[in-house]
Amino acid sequence: MSVTLVSVMFVAAGLIALGAFIAAWKRQLTAALTGLPLVFAGAGIAFAGVARFSTAASGPPLVGQEMAVLLVIVALAAVALGVGLAGRESSR
Amino acid sequence: MDSLHAIGFYVSAALAGVGGLGLAFARRHERRGLALGLVGVGVAGAYASLSAGFAAVIALLCYAGCALLIARPDYRTVEHSVGTVWRQLGAVGAAVLFAALAYAAYRGDFVHATFYGGPFGSLSLARLMFAHDALATEAVGGIVLVALIGAAAAWRRERPRDHTEGRP
Repeated sequence: MSVTLVSVMFVAAGLIALGAFIAAWKRQLTAALTGLPLVFAGAGIAFAGVARFSTAASGPPLVGQEMAVLLVIVALAAVALGVGLAGRESSR
Repeated sequence: MDSLHAIGFYVSAALAGVGGLGLAFARRHERRGLALGLVGVGVAGAYASLSAGFAAVIALLCYAGCALLIARPDYRTVEHSVGTVWRQLGAVGAAVLFAALAYAAYRGDFVHATFYGGPFGSLSLARLMFAHDALATEAVGGIVLVALIGAAAAWRRERPRDHTEGRP
């Protein structure tokens, strides 16, 4: 059993599509918002996979991991902002 | 990559997938928070299997924060007025997106290179983030700061009227 970049990309595609499905399907705004971290998680896994398996020798090898870290932080900020805005809307 | 890492990756990916399905179909927000935590554990495990230990730690912390935000007791809901047809079109679009991404992954001609980094890589990552790409890191930090300030300002409730009325 081994992991290749193709299998990593399959997992990333599944997470991105699942996140897009949640964002499109859910009726509640805050529930739909939970698809966003899933999309970012899929993108982060794709970046980390490229950094692990396919980084060119000339470039910095960990740019993909850096992107994964930044995407995770942005996902947290997006959820916090969305939950805050939803609370403001519902209190009106 | 040895078999142990491969098993770890696939188990973590399955955990993230199960968590994502839970997010999609759970009705109560506490369960959605739990599912988001499961997604975080799965994503962190996948990162760790891909020799991105530092990203795994950050993912675990951030997704735990997301899960707590979703599962908090004073959760409020907002219904948005999108029709059923548009929701179904969105679901079909998500399926088409998966098919397109999977096809691109299957047909892609990827360069294969040997990875020389360690399993955690925090020192190299810190050098990259705070020296090589410092401006990008600061930009993302600024965006996150503005988002968190906006969230705090939006979440702040008005004081009840009876506390302010009748005061001199």
